[in-house]
Amino acid sequence: MFSCCSPCPPCLRGEFLSVIFAFHLTLALAQTPAPATQPPGIAIERALAERLHLAVGDTVRLGASPDSLLRLAVVAAIYEPRPDPAEISRRALRVRLHLPDLADLLGASDRVDRFGIGLTPGVPADSAVAVLDRAAFGFRAHSSAVIASESSQTFKVVSRFHRAIAVITIVASAVFLLCIMLLKVEERRMDAAVMRFVGVRRRTIFGALVLEAALIAVLGSVLGAGLAFLAGAATNAYYRRFFDTELIFSLITPRIVLFSVCLSLLLGLAAGAVAAWRLVRTRPMVLWGRA
Amino acid sequence: MTGLGWGLKSLRRRPLRTALSLAGIAVASAMLLDMVMLSGGIEQSFSELLLARGYQIRLTPKGTLPFDTEASIRGASTVVREIRAEPGVEAAGAVLGTSIYGRTADSLVTLFGYGIQPEAQGIYQVTAGADLAPGDTSGVLLSETAAALLGAAPGDTVTLVGRLDPQIAGAAVGRRLAVRALVRWIYDHRGQPSVGTVLPVMQRLGRETAADRGSLLLVKATDDREVDALAARLRERFPELEVNSVAELVVQAKRRLVYFTQLSYVLGGMSLVVAVLLVGTLLTITVNERLGEIATLRAIGVSRGTIVRQVLAEGVALTVLGAGAGILLGLATAEYLDAILTSFPGLPEAFSFFVPRAGTLSLSALVLLATGSLAGLYPAWLASRAPIAATLRAEAT
Repeated sequence: MFSCCSPCPPCLRGEFLSVIFAFHLTLALAQTPAPATQPPGIAIERALAERLHLAVGDTVRLGASPDSLLRLAVVAAIYEPRPDPAEISRRALRVRLHLPDLADLLGASDRVDRFGIGLTPGVPADSAVAVLDRAAFGFRAHSSAVIASESSQTFKVVSRFHRAIAVITIVASAVFLLCIMLLKVEERRMDAAVMRFVGVRRRTIFGALVLEAALIAVLGSVLGAGLAFLAGAATNAYYRRFFDTELIFSLITPRIVLFSVCLSLLLGLAAGAVAAWRLVRTRPMVLWGRA
Repeated sequence: MTGLGWGLKSLRRRPLRTALSLAGIAVASAMLLDMVMLSGGIEQSFSELLLARGYQIRLTPKGTLPFDTEASIRGASTVVREIRAEPGVEAAGAVLGTSIYGRTADSLVTLFGYGIQPEAQGIYQVTAGADLAPGDTSGVLLSETAAALLGAAPGDTVTLVGRLDPQIAGAAVGRRLAVRALVRWIYDHRGQPSVGTVLPVMQRLGRETAADRGSLLLVKATDDREVDALAARLRERFPELEVNSVAELVVQAKRRLVYFTQLSYVLGGMSLVVAVLLVGTLLTITVNERLGEIATLRAIGVSRGTIVRQVLAEGVALTVLGAGAGILLGLATAEYLDAILTSFPGLPEAFSFFVPRAGTLSLSALVLLATGSLAGLYPAWLASRAPIAATLRAEAT
């Protein structure tokens, strides 16, 4: 289907070679009777089959534009494309054709968008890319790693956004937790005053209040983790249905749970300790409200 | 003393508690403001971008959005002529987008080429030099990035080539063109090296001459109110084309960015819950601590309504103070978050996710005010129902 302008360097003689030619196509259900010669077979993705109510064996008309639906093709297969986060919001519908059929349809023979080259084991991709780029004219070689890095830029941006939102959420949660703990401990002013009157030591009261704060933080963390799992499951269920995909949108790993629990415990303990320290430093009569 | 004065005095009694509550409300308010800005910002920014030059309708190949695929429209110039003859059309122009190359001293640089009709263009603004004249087949427009790559300025000459052929190791077509102006391509992403020529020149460079291809047609209606009717007429007349008004394109864009809109609703809702919980908890504990004081006021004849107003005023004062700080914090965080999201690859440089508007700020302020008032309802009810005699007796013992 294609030819090289110069012999391939030995290191690049590949294990396999794939060519891709992607183009915008228009597809319509054929209303014409089946022709004498068998039209070429195509594979269509499940979403397209569902949208147009197509089944294996149906005949369709294809063209590069809506006013040139001239070529007949038979649906030979229906396939489920591999979930791709990069394509999720575009919802492009795909048809797979044999390369000669597509080139013929477009009137662009011996022309492809890109080659894929499998290197023999031990050949570094970067050096192969450098060799190809030196010999090339009219195309550029890229290693799979570079392409993966470039195509994952969108997700890197989303990750950065999520991290920034997470930081704001953590700050808000921390302030909320501090505030609640302070209020919770201050609610115990009278109890603390009575304990001081009957001779309970400050250290014991401090320990009791901090222990209480720790208990609340643990219970809150467990409840929060449970809520997070429920919210994650709901998020996955909603977006999988919304985008008609098997991708995972919310993933709660043990590391995330551990980080969240440790952070809330730490914050709860710190807030409880600050509030308890303020309380035990105050004179009992003041706590009692009679100073 | 007024309800507000009583509320402020009450807040001053416990400075640490009040400061922490204010900090919490400020962060929650900032988050709410950001999320309100995000939910409406995408729509507004995209709409402003599309209407930057006043063209309200776009025509693209059937089933596609502008520059979404490599599909193109055959006979673009003819279609434009037919559209211009339609009643209600003020201007119409075709745009072709294609990949071409610019020759530098020792190599070729890849450029994005726009073929335009200068008499009706809606995709660039001239920043230096003079615009292309209709039919100027020897001129070219450069973006700042393209000018830097080619080392050219208005008045210089550059060489553009198209369709490199690996088999003959040469370019099928090349043109020497005079740089007429530096322009800002409205829909370019940051750092995109773009050049523009009149449509026939770019068609030749992109080998699209035979079919007179264009990627996109832009239409400006004489009257904004007639846009939908004109779009419907064009849809009927050109069934092989996708006809979208700006409003319809905004809907398509929102559908693609639905994740951010929904995220803004969820996080905005959570911010409100945090604000309600903070104000409600603080006021409830304050009221419980001051039941004796409230019972005394009731005993000397202060009405239940006055007590309720005082507690509500305290909640509103807390919310207003926290929200004031929150708006400043929200504007700062919005700028930071916008800088992150606008670094999406391929996004037009002029696009913004967080757009501060008077309406957005007012809406956030109103929602927060309502939230603060609502959060004070339960503690206010508690204060008004306090048993006078029993409370005073308990206070005395």
